[in-house]
Amino acid sequence: MSDFLRLVKKEARELLRPRYILPILFIPIVFVGMGQGFGGIDDQLDDEPQVGLVVNDSGQYADLLVETYEEQANVTYRESNVSANAAVDATRDSGGKTVVVIPDNFSERIAGGQQPGRVEVYSIVDSVGFGGVLSAGQGSTPLSTANEVIAANVTGATPAELNPVTSTDRTYVRGVRMDRPPSVLSEAVSTQFIFIPIAIVMVIIFSGQMVMNSMGIENENKTLETLLTMPVKRRTIVAAKLVGSAAVGLFAAGILAGSLWYYQTSLSFGDGGAGLPDAFALGGVDYALIGASVFLAVIAALAMALCLGIFAGDQQGAQVLVFPIAVLAGAPAAVSMFADVTTMALPFRAVMYAIPFTYPALAPKELMFGDSLLIAAGVLYQLVFAVAMVGLAVRLFNSDRVVTGDAGRLSDIFSSLQR
Amino acid sequence: MSNAAVQVDGLAKRFGDVEALGDLSFRVEPNEIFGLVGPNGAGKSTTLRIMSTLLSADEGAVEVFGADVATAPNAVREAIRYLPEEAGAYENLTGRGFLEFVAGFYADDPTGLVERGVELADLGDRITDKTSEYSKGMTRRLLLASSLMTEPRLAILDEPTSGLDVRNAREVRDVIKDYPSAERSVILSSHNMLEVEYLCDRVGLINEGEIVAVGTPTALVAEYDVENLEDVFMEVTA
Repeated sequence: MSDFLRLVKKEARELLRPRYILPILFIPIVFVGMGQGFGGIDDQLDDEPQVGLVVNDSGQYADLLVETYEEQANVTYRESNVSANAAVDATRDSGGKTVVVIPDNFSERIAGGQQPGRVEVYSIVDSVGFGGVLSAGQGSTPLSTANEVIAANVTGATPAELNPVTSTDRTYVRGVRMDRPPSVLSEAVSTQFIFIPIAIVMVIIFSGQMVMNSMGIENENKTLETLLTMPVKRRTIVAAKLVGSAAVGLFAAGILAGSLWYYQTSLSFGDGGAGLPDAFALGGVDYALIGASVFLAVIAALAMALCLGIFAGDQQGAQVLVFPIAVLAGAPAAVSMFADVTTMALPFRAVMYAIPFTYPALAPKELMFGDSLLIAAGVLYQLVFAVAMVGLAVRLFNSDRVVTGDAGRLSDIFSSLQR
Repeated sequence: MSNAAVQVDGLAKRFGDVEALGDLSFRVEPNEIFGLVGPNGAGKSTTLRIMSTLLSADEGAVEVFGADVATAPNAVREAIRYLPEEAGAYENLTGRGFLEFVAGFYADDPTGLVERGVELADLGDRITDKTSEYSKGMTRRLLLASSLMTEPRLAILDEPTSGLDVRNAREVRDVIKDYPSAERSVILSSHNMLEVEYLCDRVGLINEGEIVAVGTPTALVAEYDVENLEDVFMEVTA
C-alpha cells in the first residue's frame, strides 16, 4: 500500500468514529422521519373525507347537497333532528372527522334567491398534528362541487356560463417563451434552486468540518509531530487529509442530501420543473460545469479548512474555526435562493462573485435560464482559488506554523474565537 | 560530508521577540547516546525539533548522517525517528495497529518491524487493545517501541521516560541503553540527571540557547569538581 493510501485510510478511519459521524447521521434520520410523516399525511388526504350528515331539510337543494357528499365523501353517519353535540359524538364513534348540519330552511333560502343556504360544519380534531387538522378540514371540500351543482340547478346555466372566464398561460422567462404558467417555474425553483444550493452547502460544510476534525484529532492526540517526521512528503500528507476528509464529507453530505430530497418530495413540491421547455433543459456540458464547480468548491473549502485547522487547539476549537467557511458557503446559497444575483447592484454583485462558493449555488439557475459564460468564468476562477488554497496549505505544512500553531498577526483573533 | 551522526553548527532560532537558540553547536558521534540537558526553556526541544525537520533554523546548519535538515529533509526523515515529549497514538487503532501503521512507512513488508515493535513495547495481550484504553505509561512504551522498531540511524527522544513509573522507566532505559551501534545513535533530552548519567556517553549542557559545557558525565563532574551531574547542572546554569 502506498504512503498516500495508508494516510487516506487512517484519515477515514479516524473520522468515521461514532463521535464524529453520529451527529451528522442524526439530521438525516430527522429528515426521513419528517418525510415519512408528511408522506403519511399525503396518503391520508388522498382518501375520501369521512363525514357525518345531519339533514334537517327535505327540500331539493338539500337533496343535491347530500347527493354530492355521498359521491365525494364517505358518509359514516346520517341522522336528522339531533343536536350538534350528539352528531359530533356519533360521527367520531363512526370514524368521521367532520359533521355537516343542513338546517331546515336551507332549500327555502336558496329558492328565495336573496340569501345563500347556510350549513354548519363541525370539524373534529382529536389528533393535534398536521394529519389530524388537515384531514378534519377535508370535510368541507365537497361543498364547492355542491355549490356548482346547486347553482346550475337553480339557474339552468351550463358549466361554461357558471365559469365564463378561463385562461391559457404563457410565461416569458428572460425572453424565452414557455407555454406553461409561472407555477411550473416555481416547481423548478423549489427543486433546482433551493435543494441543490442547500445540498452543496452541506457538502462544503461537512467536508470542511471533517478536515477540521482531522486536524483537531491530530492536535488533541498529539500525533501530528510524529506524523510530520515520518519519511513522507508534506504534500502527500496534505493530499491525504484532503482526500480522506472529502470522502467522509461527501459520504455524510450524500446521506443528508438523500434524506432532504426524500423529505422534500414527501411535501409534493412538484415535478422538479419537468414541464419546462427544452430551451431550459440542462445538457451534458451544463452538468459537467456544475460538477466541476461543486468539485472545486469542495477542494477550496477543504484546503481553507486545513489551513485554519492548523491553528485549532483541539476539536472544539476546530468546530469554531469552520464557521467562516460555513458563512462563505451559506451566504451565496441563501442569497441565490431569494434573489437573482446577476441583477443585484454592482457592489453586491462584486462581493458575491469574489466568493468562490457562489458559482456552484448559481450554476443550476444560470445554466438553465441565463449566462453559461458567467459559470464557465466562475469555474476558472474557482480553479485558480482552489490551487492557491492547496498551495497555501502545503506551504503552511512545510512551515513552522504547523508545529507552533502561530497565526502571526491573526493569533489573537484565533485565540479569542477558540476560548 | 562529516562522519558525525549529528553535526550542529551555529544554530539560531527566534520565536518573535524570544531568542530560543543562539549560536548552538555540538556533535553526536555514531554508536553514542548524547544527552541534551538544561533548564526549562533553555532550547532543548527546539533543537530536537529542528533536528527532526519540524522547525526551520533561522541561522546555522544541522546535518544528520550527512543530510542537511534544510535542503534534504526527506533524507533526514528516512534516517531518524522522533519521540516528542508530549506524544500520543491514534485512539482508534490498537497498539498493534499503530505499530503496523508506522512500520508501513519504512518497509514494503513491515511484519518483521511490527514483531520487533510488539517485543519492545512488551504490552502482552494488551497490544491488541485500542490505544485509547492505554495508561500513559503503556502509551509511552508503545511510542518508544514504534520509534525504535524501525531501527533508525538516529533516535531523537525528548524526555523518553516522562510520566512513567519506576519499573516502566527502568525498562525503557534498558531498551535505550542497548540501542546504539556502529550505525546507530541516540540523542535525548531529560530533566532526570540520574537517568542522563546512567544512559549518556556524553552530555551537552544547554543554557539560554547555547551549549555551555560538553563532555562525558565523569569528565564534567571532574571538571567542575562536584559530586554528580546534578551539581554540574546547578553550576553551569546558576
